[in-house]
Parts: sequence; structure tokens; C-alpha cells
Amino acid sequence: MKVLIVEDELALQAGIREFLISEKFVVEVASTYDEALDKALNYAYDCVLLDIMLPGGSGLDVLRAMRDNPIKSPVLILSAKDSVDDKVAGLEIGADDYLAKPFHFAELLARLKSIIRRNAQDGQHLLHYKNVSLDPELREVKIEGMPIILNRKEYDVLYYFMLRPNKLLEKSTLAETVWGNHADQADNLDFIYSQIKNLRKKLKTADATCDIQAVYGIGYKLV
Amino acid sequence: MAISIKNYTNRFIVVTILIVMALWAAMFYAVIMEEVYDNIDDGLKNQKILIIREVYRKPELIAESTEFGVNQFVIRPVENATEVLDENVFSKELIYMPYDKEEEPYRILRTGFYDAIGKPYYLEIRTSTVEEDDFLMDLAISLLALYSVIVLSILFINYFMMGHAWKPFNQILKNLSQYRFGKADSFVAVDSQVREFKDLNNHISDMIQQNEKVFDSQKRFLENAAHELQTPLAVSINKLEFVLENASLSEEDMIRVVEAKRSLQRMVSLNKSLLTLSRINNQQYASQEEVHMQAIVDHALTDYEDLIAYKDIQVDQEIVSDFVLMANRDLMQILVSNLLSNAVKYNTQPGKIRITMRADSFTIANTSADGALNPNYIFERFYKGSQDHNSNGLGLSIVQTILDKYSFLVIEYRYENNMQVFEVKKLM
Repeated sequence: MKVLIVEDELALQAGIREFLISEKFVVEVASTYDEALDKALNYAYDCVLLDIMLPGGSGLDVLRAMRDNPIKSPVLILSAKDSVDDKVAGLEIGADDYLAKPFHFAELLARLKSIIRRNAQDGQHLLHYKNVSLDPELREVKIEGMPIILNRKEYDVLYYFMLRPNKLLEKSTLAETVWGNHADQADNLDFIYSQIKNLRKKLKTADATCDIQAVYGIGYKLV
Repeated sequence: MAISIKNYTNRFIVVTILIVMALWAAMFYAVIMEEVYDNIDDGLKNQKILIIREVYRKPELIAESTEFGVNQFVIRPVENATEVLDENVFSKELIYMPYDKEEEPYRILRTGFYDAIGKPYYLEIRTSTVEEDDFLMDLAISLLALYSVIVLSILFINYFMMGHAWKPFNQILKNLSQYRFGKADSFVAVDSQVREFKDLNNHISDMIQQNEKVFDSQKRFLENAAHELQTPLAVSINKLEFVLENASLSEEDMIRVVEAKRSLQRMVSLNKSLLTLSRINNQQYASQEEVHMQAIVDHALTDYEDLIAYKDIQVDQEIVSDFVLMANRDLMQILVSNLLSNAVKYNTQPGKIRITMRADSFTIANTSADGALNPNYIFERFYKGSQDHNSNGLGLSIVQTILDKYSFLVIEYRYENNMQVFEVKKLM
């Protein structure tokens, strides 16, 4: 899958690039308004990650030019501004989603995958790991073909694990991405522990061959 | 007690005029009395000459004038005439006057003369003179009347003229009291022909412009600083995430990296709160709509349901009536979310949250082990309670900033039945 990263902050651009390459994406980058316009209008991407404040112009103008032409590539706006107006404007012009900087790579990946999934023609986007399969379309989890019942948050947690099995997912990242900002409280780490415990129990009861493993009290990984 | 400038000068005027008039009255009295005696004495001397002439013409008059009669003089022969017989000696004496039935002051001239044949005679002439005490009293009464009239006139003129003259000043004060920091146009300059007031007006306007400029640039600085921090924070956090992916890292190093990342995360949350504050101040949440608070509370409760269940908190809701108001929906969400977040965060485990919704107020109360908080500080930026490790101290400050935008809303804090109670209500 091909992704264009439009980001003028080179250190951030390099970081996102490295991460997406490690997630098996084909990545191209642009750091100025003109470069972004040139690439976005002339090549097709599965998703464009678009910064709003660019040297030479606004990312929103790039998006406008794409939609006017019309280029259908889905767009995920990355902005340091996180202002309501920008968000509304971006989504009105035709962005698919909006992610405020700074963000966790796990969340970027989740948003990216869900945008790509929504815009893809072929509907086959089941996530598989060992004997567990997860259907993001139906928000359904099956073990050996047997559906198991998860509540909304348990599903979200499992979805983050299934996106990157065998990779460490930190407790604080989980708290923020699944429960939002309000979970960043003093006792959130114990809170996450109790939520993970419930999910593990459900997986175990349904005879899943995978398990969620604690990593040094830092976070968890799906093994 | 402060006294109005209209009356401030009055006491000086009253005292000064009193002193000036008293001095003037003393001088006036002395001069008048001097003149009166001078006049009377001249009259007496004149009479003396007339009497002597008459005696020369009609010597028998001497014998007729040994007692005071109609003529108010006596002539008596003198046995041992001294050389200074015809010297004029004036004196003042009290003599009974049948008309007034009391003793009245008389001016008396005692002198002497030689008749045509050289025989010495003693002559005493008297005439009624001014009653000094009555005169003094009359003078005092007239002056008192004059004094009162003058003082009253001055007070009267002062009151109306000063009241009129100071009108622009009072208007300036009134307008100044309506000035709200952050709104330069909330001070209306007052038009006046008086130079001092014009100057005052201009100085105040200049000062406000200057302050607003400083305030504006501070706001911009805060917002820019917060923005500029986002990217380096994003880069640092993302780099640390890469380090964590590295499986060869030792457990200790991994924990160190995670702790570093957690600190950065706190900075991100602090930054976000600062941005929210500056956005509220910069009118970025200007749009208004009809907001139903109950729906907002329900939504916030769903956000926190897991945490509430985990902390074993019982939520009691009493809905008397929905609280509906014209406001910005996003701001009301932030407001409710911040209050609920605190109610969860500073609750006991197990604990209770009680939410009461009325047509004009919304109350959220939580059990707490902290005791009463100091209401003077809790809404200040970066104020933290004792047991706070993970708060940035901006939650209630954001709540206060939101409420400052809506002049019809206030928040009240109280400690009641071992519960922290925050009530947001409409002013009647």
C-alpha cells in the first residue's frame, strides 16, 4: 500500500516514514506546499497524510486542489493546531479523518488502516492472528470461526493488538487511544490492568491460541 | 470616609470666610465707634461754645442751669479754680433714662469757663450715645445673616456648578467600571470640553490600548509556544516508541524509556490544556446553539463509565428538569467533562457521585477524603490539591475560563455532607 507523507518537519517526517515502512507500506514524502501539490495531483495513493501548516501554503489548499481535480485518494490530516475550526474545515473539504499532533504510532496506524479499509473496493480486510480473526467492518471477533462477545472497549483493545501482533503496546498508549484523554489519571495503569484481565479471560475461555502478555509492567503484547 | 470633591472645598470656604468676616467685623466696629465718638465729641464741644456764648449774653442763665433739665447741661460756680479749668474731659457713664427705664450710656463733657466778669464756672454737658452692646449685637446679627447668605450661595453654586463640571468625570468612572480586560471596546471614551477630562480620557484610552496589546501578545505567545512545542514533542515521543520496539533493550532501560515517554506525555497534556485555555480566550468557540445539559452529562458519563465501574463509584442522578441554555456545545462538553473527571479522580474507592439537574442549575457532587477545599484557590491555574500527582492543575481553571465567557453563568463550590459540591447555575 502506498502512502504520501506531507510534513515539513523533517524529523517527524522521517519518524513516520520509518514506522510506516516497518509496517510494510510504500512511502513517499513531500515537505513543501508545491511538492505536496505536485505529488498528490500526479500520483495515486492509498492514503495521504497531510500536515496543514506547510512552507508555501496551507495543507487545506492542497486538499481543495485534490478534490477539485478530482483526485480521490483518501486524506488523513495531521495537525499541530488541533483547532475546532481547522478540523471542521478539513472534514468539510473532504478529508477522511483528522489526527492531532503529537500522536502515538499505534493510533496513526489504526486510523490509517481504517481509512484505507473504508476506501478500498475489495472488502477482504479481516485481521488474522493465530486462531483469532477480527472483522473491522462488522466489529466482530471469531475464534476458530466461533464468534465471541466483547464489549465496545474490549473490542477496541483487541483491535489495537491485532493490528500489530507481537509488538509492545504501552499501557498509557492504550489508555489514551481507547479511553481517550480522560483516562490519563493517576490510577489508570491499574485500571488498564483490570480491563486487560477481563479480555484475557474471554480469550482463554474461548480457547484462543494467542494470549496478551505483560511486558515488564510497561505494557502488553499479543503473542 | 471619602468625601465628594463637590463638598471637599466647602469646609475650607466656610472656615476662611468666617475668619475673614470676623476680622473685618472687628475692624469695622473699631472704625465706626471711633467715628461715632468723634462726632459726638465735636457736637459736645460745639454745644460748649454755644452755651458760653449764651451765658455771656444772658448771665441769668447760670442760675437757671444748676441742675440737668431739658438742656442736658449744668453750670456750677467753682471755688478754687485751677489753671486748667477750660480743659475738655470726655467720659462715658451710665445714667438712668426714664424712657427705657434703665441705665443708658451717656457721653459727658466736663469742662469749665470764665464768665464775662472772670468768675470761673464748672460746665458739664451730656448727651445720649450709642449703646455699644446693642450695636455690637446688631452688627453680629447682620454679619451672621450676611455670612449665612454668602456661605449658602457658595455651597449652592458649588453644588450645581461642580456637579455639572464633574459630570464627565463621573461618566468616565462609570465607563471604566464597565471595562472588561480583553475587550478593548468595552471602555467608551467620554466627550468633554474640559481639558483635564480630555487628557484623562486620552490617557485611559492609551493605557487600555497598551494593556490590551500586551495581553494580546501574551495570548499569542502562549498559543505559539504551545504550538511550537507540539512538533518536537511528537518527534521525541515517536523516537522513543522506536526505541521501545527494539527487543534487545534491557528491562531497566525499557522502563527508563517508558518513564521518559510518560513525562513527555504529561507535557503533551499540559500543552493541550494551555491551548484549550488560549483558544477559549481567543474566541475560537464563538458559535452558540441551544445546549441540553442532560444530554452532555449522559455522554460524558458514557466516556467515564469504565473508570467509574473500575473505581466502584455509584452514580446517582436526580433530574428535576433539563438545564437548557444558549452556549457553545464544545465548551459545555469540556466543562462537564472536566467537572466529572475531577469527581472521578478525587473520589474515594468505593465512592459516590451525585448529579442534580434543574431548569437553571447543574450540580455535581462527589465523596472525597480531602475535606473542604479553599474556594479562593481551586479555580486558579496550576493550583493543586494535596494528593495530586498526575493533574496539571488546569482543569478547574478551564472551567472558570469557560464560565467567564458566559456572564449569566456562575460556578459555586461548597463542602457539604462530606462531599465536594460544584454547582453551575444561571444568574437570575
